[in-house]
Amino acid sequence: MKIALINGSPKRKESASGLVLEIFKAFVAKDDNQIYEFHFDQPQVRKEEITLLADCDLLLLAFPLYVDGIPSHLLHCLRQLEGAFRAPGGKEIMVYTIVNCGFYEDAHNELAIAMMKNWSERAGLKWGQGLAIGGGGMLPFLKSIPLGRGPFKKLKPAFAQLASHALNRSSGETIFFTPAFPRFLYKLAGEIGWRQAVKANGLRSGDLFLRK
Amino acid sequence: MGGRGEMRLIISDLERDERRRLFPQPLAETIWLEEEGPIHHCLGCFGCWVKTPGVCVIRDQYGDMGEMLSKCTEVIIISHCCYGGFSPFVKNVLDRSISYLHPYFTIRNGRMHHRRRYKNHFHLQVWFYGEDITVKEKETAEKLVKANAINMDASDYSVAFVRHIAEMEGRIR
Repeated sequence: MKIALINGSPKRKESASGLVLEIFKAFVAKDDNQIYEFHFDQPQVRKEEITLLADCDLLLLAFPLYVDGIPSHLLHCLRQLEGAFRAPGGKEIMVYTIVNCGFYEDAHNELAIAMMKNWSERAGLKWGQGLAIGGGGMLPFLKSIPLGRGPFKKLKPAFAQLASHALNRSSGETIFFTPAFPRFLYKLAGEIGWRQAVKANGLRSGDLFLRK
Repeated sequence: MGGRGEMRLIISDLERDERRRLFPQPLAETIWLEEEGPIHHCLGCFGCWVKTPGVCVIRDQYGDMGEMLSKCTEVIIISHCCYGGFSPFVKNVLDRSISYLHPYFTIRNGRMHHRRRYKNHFHLQVWFYGEDITVKEKETAEKLVKANAINMDASDYSVAFVRHIAEMEGRIR
């Protein structure tokens, strides 16, 4: 099976979307599966990438939630792909999506997943499943805390389910995941992080409140 | 730009000719934001929160969206409905607008959102157009506008759908 892993983050490196794609890859990189990796960090897709994608059996897109929806550069790419995929004679391609957000609650991602479902329909592709990840600020800890342990205990079965549907080319209900970590501590840790980040740029923590 | 809380902003993906046909007379206290020059997409760098707080680090003509929104009592969005969301240009403007908010979190309607940076509250009015908007896309779009209104802590919101741009004629004053 030909599997396309598409990173929809505008960040060239160190993106949470890249991290979750690596995890997913470990679940599906077996047997005769051929994995093709793409990074849509610009508002256009190259012709040769479109040709490769149109020959895949499934697409897995991972992206960050931007203002309750799909980041604009990725929307451009999806519009371009919609036109290409709608050409007659194409094969049945399944679509799976992972959306992560910085807010604690996974449910914030629901609308972006609904938009991806709507896109699949317009592009003549078949919807597979979505994985909505809340508390995205904690995802970098996956480098030091193993999947399936501590706050990420339920993330392992979530990926396993998504990968199982993908490998069987089947569809499923959206999976929701928020790290097992208290919301008030997540909020507090976030605020400490912003203060550190602004200070690292030579500003004071009070500058976070600047108005223009 | 007007003073705090006096302005109406219209973010639109209409072609200039379409806009002129729809709005032959200038609207009072209104700024139109249209695709007039190149717009860079948001890079997800959070520079507008931690490098130049309140201002986007990308200095094209959409770099001061936070300030612009802070002066509004009304924000009107006219957009082609794209998969139940905004068209790429309108979404680009919104993605570049997060300097309107503060990075800190607050709990609103039982969920986490960003705290406000400014004191103004605007009414959000959204017009989606498109000849073949599906039932599912409409449903998604309605929920999206509500979510946007909560996220930006708008005072109120409304959402309308039209098949053709001409149907908006005389309905936005």
